[in-house]
Amino acid sequence: MIVSWNWLKDYVPLTMSPEEAVHRLTMSGLNHESSELVGDDIAIDLEVTSNRGDCLGHIGIAREISVLWREALSVPNPTPLAAGPSVHTLASVVVEAPQLCPRYTARVVRGVAIGPSPKWLADRLTTIGIAVVNNVVDITNYVMMECGQPLHAFDLQKLAGGRIIVREARQDEPFVAIDHRSYNLQKGMCVIADRERPVALGGVMGGTATEVTDATTDLLIEAADFAPLSVRTTARTLRLHSPSSYRFERRVDPHGVDWASRRACQLIRENAGGILAEGMIDVTANPTVAHPPIVLRFSQLQRVLGIEVPAEEVQRIVTALGNQDVQMNAKQIVATPPTWRRDLLREIDLIEEVVRIHGYDKIPEDVGVPMASSHQGDSERVLKITRDTLVASGFFEAMTPSLVEKEQSEEFSPWSGEPCLSVSLAMLRGADHLRKSLVPSILRVMQLNESLGNKDPEFFETARVYLPRAGKFPDERFMVTLASTRPFRYLKGVLEALVDSLRHGQCLDVQTWDHAFFAAEQAVQLMLNGQTIGYMGVLDSQTQKHYALRQPVVVAEIDFGSLVPCAELVPQFKPVSLFPAVRYDLNFVVDEAVRWADVAKSVRKAAGDVLDQLEYCETYRDPQKDGQNKKRLLFSLQLRSIARTLTGDQADEVRRSVIETCQQHHGAALLV
Amino acid sequence: MALAVFLQELDELARAAVEQFAAAVDGETLESARVAFLGAKQGRLKAAQKQMGNVGPSDRPLAGKRFNEVKQSIESAYAAAQQRLTGGSVRRPPDPTFDATLPGIRPQLGKRHPLTQTMEELKDIMGRLGFTVADGPEVEDERHNFEALNIPREHPARDPLENFYLATAGVGDPDSVFLLRSQTSTVQIRVMEAKRPPIRIISMGRVYRPDTADATHYPMFHQIEGLLVDHRVTMADLKSVLRLFAQTYLGSEVHIRFRPSFFPFTEPSVEVDYQWKDNWIEFGGAGMVDPHVLQAVGYDPEEVTGFAFGLGVERLCMRRHGVTDIREFYKNDVRFLQQF
Repeated sequence: MIVSWNWLKDYVPLTMSPEEAVHRLTMSGLNHESSELVGDDIAIDLEVTSNRGDCLGHIGIAREISVLWREALSVPNPTPLAAGPSVHTLASVVVEAPQLCPRYTARVVRGVAIGPSPKWLADRLTTIGIAVVNNVVDITNYVMMECGQPLHAFDLQKLAGGRIIVREARQDEPFVAIDHRSYNLQKGMCVIADRERPVALGGVMGGTATEVTDATTDLLIEAADFAPLSVRTTARTLRLHSPSSYRFERRVDPHGVDWASRRACQLIRENAGGILAEGMIDVTANPTVAHPPIVLRFSQLQRVLGIEVPAEEVQRIVTALGNQDVQMNAKQIVATPPTWRRDLLREIDLIEEVVRIHGYDKIPEDVGVPMASSHQGDSERVLKITRDTLVASGFFEAMTPSLVEKEQSEEFSPWSGEPCLSVSLAMLRGADHLRKSLVPSILRVMQLNESLGNKDPEFFETARVYLPRAGKFPDERFMVTLASTRPFRYLKGVLEALVDSLRHGQCLDVQTWDHAFFAAEQAVQLMLNGQTIGYMGVLDSQTQKHYALRQPVVVAEIDFGSLVPCAELVPQFKPVSLFPAVRYDLNFVVDEAVRWADVAKSVRKAAGDVLDQLEYCETYRDPQKDGQNKKRLLFSLQLRSIARTLTGDQADEVRRSVIETCQQHHGAALLV
Repeated sequence: MALAVFLQELDELARAAVEQFAAAVDGETLESARVAFLGAKQGRLKAAQKQMGNVGPSDRPLAGKRFNEVKQSIESAYAAAQQRLTGGSVRRPPDPTFDATLPGIRPQLGKRHPLTQTMEELKDIMGRLGFTVADGPEVEDERHNFEALNIPREHPARDPLENFYLATAGVGDPDSVFLLRSQTSTVQIRVMEAKRPPIRIISMGRVYRPDTADATHYPMFHQIEGLLVDHRVTMADLKSVLRLFAQTYLGSEVHIRFRPSFFPFTEPSVEVDYQWKDNWIEFGGAGMVDPHVLQAVGYDPEEVTGFAFGLGVERLCMRRHGVTDIREFYKNDVRFLQQF
């Protein structure tokens, strides 16, 4: 709301500087946005919160100033002289849609001379950035900016039958607004029609057909109250926001309708001449019931605010804000809120009024708040360990949107076969599906970084996926997803380190898994304690092409929820052996089909509890010496007992047992 | 002979030789030590070499390898002693191939996302002030996102164009109307529904509002919100907690001020500013929990009061680190991420 400094002086003495004024207004609820000199006036832009429709006019702002500076507020009482016949002989109003228009009033002025506005009026409108049109249109705008009640002036002679019908629009009914553009109306919108066609969109904008022109002589002045929700929907649907719709959306003072009408007629008579018809057409569907009085207990001020406010100060504030029938005793104050403050209904509303005028600076910022314990949950702690491990392993944390395009949503998701949930609006270019996996998103991040020339990017993201459940809340699962251009074994190692960091000694297992997204036999289910916790694989070359990735990429996605119970958040000490270790390097020739995990399992079993470390070294192939489809597995074995020094014979015995087992179960031939 | 025994003997030999060479005080003692260990005929090293023949054939490669290592270490211990006793410094002559100005071999380290860093910092501070993290779903129903938060049906915030409503099959059935939460206050409702006061929580996470993405807006962003409900909680408590919070975050004496504002779920409602080098900087929104909200979760507003505050993580992070475009956070260019 832009206000004119000079204009405000009509209602309240401005004894303070503009700087002081905007500061205190800011601190009492009207946030100062900016000020600008316009001629000899100042245009002050104040932000008005949506509950304070009363401050969308100069009088409302002036009232705030009068309360803050303890000055008297003077509001004119317009009493335009009526001289014509009764208004009812000149026009009629039917409200067919009282739910869209609770009150409609009309006055008629005939024989006006359309011309330019007087300078003082034109100047004020110019200051606040409203285009000057002609005296009548300017006056309707002026009165709106004075009291916050929008008005509309119709050319009475162009209103077919001198008749106003307030009704719901018909579907696809055409309407040409003052901006000379055509709109297709829809049901639920409120139109003002004459006998033949819509002539205005109630509360939003007037129409071309009946607009005031230089040739106009007779006016019908509309002052009405339109339903906020319908005005908002109409303005939004048609993208037709106006100062009028803005005010109706925030509700106008139902009792201010008549004042605004009288004020406009008075100014028209003074500045455009004409004769005001006797009386006013007033169609009120539900005469607004006066608000019941509000009881404000003084004890509640202390209870909510933490400070005492003297009773006299409370009384002064409540009264100055325009509350009626203010009565006070030792314990409480009772007051009836004014009609322009539809936001005041409850005791807490009055408490807020008292404190914002009394001043929030009176509330101390150093009271002793009692201490309390706070506990870090298991998930929170496991997430921290997870992030620590991944960051230490060289991964950057990415954050990608939860909503993705339809095609992307179906690219990969091992978690649910149901189609993705979708939302009614797209978040970013077509992104209206709730993702079921972070993998497609993180691969796009990989692609972007590759294309930007960022070398060997590695990323992880921790975020939710949304698995559909018919008619119920979706199953929101937190995922940890990783992508790397390094080899499969490297990413696997990171995940092994992760599960080890959650519980020392804990091992990750894998089970082969076939999925077209991944290269054949290069994908696995990740297993922990016998449970599937996620998936991992090397992208198939088609997949890699789909994401326009230059390098092969390996990705993994883990259901974070399944990691949490596997963590040992308070690790327990296990004694370490004080005795020396014996180390053997072994080199076996085995068939190509032999899997390391099977060999390792046999070795562990054969070595028993003196096995201190089993370390895979490398795989080596020499078809010349070993034959086709053979490979050499090199690994070392470290033996150590917790209870004693292993003798050479004992250690050799274990070694022999390992070699025999490997021969028996895996056809492994030891190379010496 | 077992390999283990052989290796143990080798170790013992190396230890003894190094000790004796180091203990030599003149040419004579050094020479007698040399004969004892490195003597061509009777030296202990020579004897050990012969022992190797008794080690099993399969163990021999390993035994040989270790023998060579031990031999080398004894010889270099002798050379060092000799250099020490002949007046030369024990330090080796400089190695012309060593270039200390070559770049170090860096471990590759990743980084947490700057928004995660900001949230963790705020969470830590609030944890010290006794606030425990609470979590809730991102897909919410209208009760938790609106009704219980005192946002009635006709409120502009409920406009279908202001929210991401889920396109579910059960249209018309109010129990299956879901939307992406537009604020983390939903978590407050869930916690209060489940637990009696005292409540002291913070909630944080993704929220969604259909804004066009530009330098300062993104249709998905993060919020962090605090809630304290108990007997005798006042606005002075709110101001004091926020001041402690700001002071801890900024690391110096700061002041807080309240400006009146309007939020459906708090009353009185305020915007919070903190003073930083003579400027007042916007921090977030706050207020006393609206009695309607307390009633909606079955609390008696005559019995308990509470305060709530919330702030946008992106805005705070942008101001803190001088980031000028919110979209950077979701682009994930490593050159951006590695700066924090």
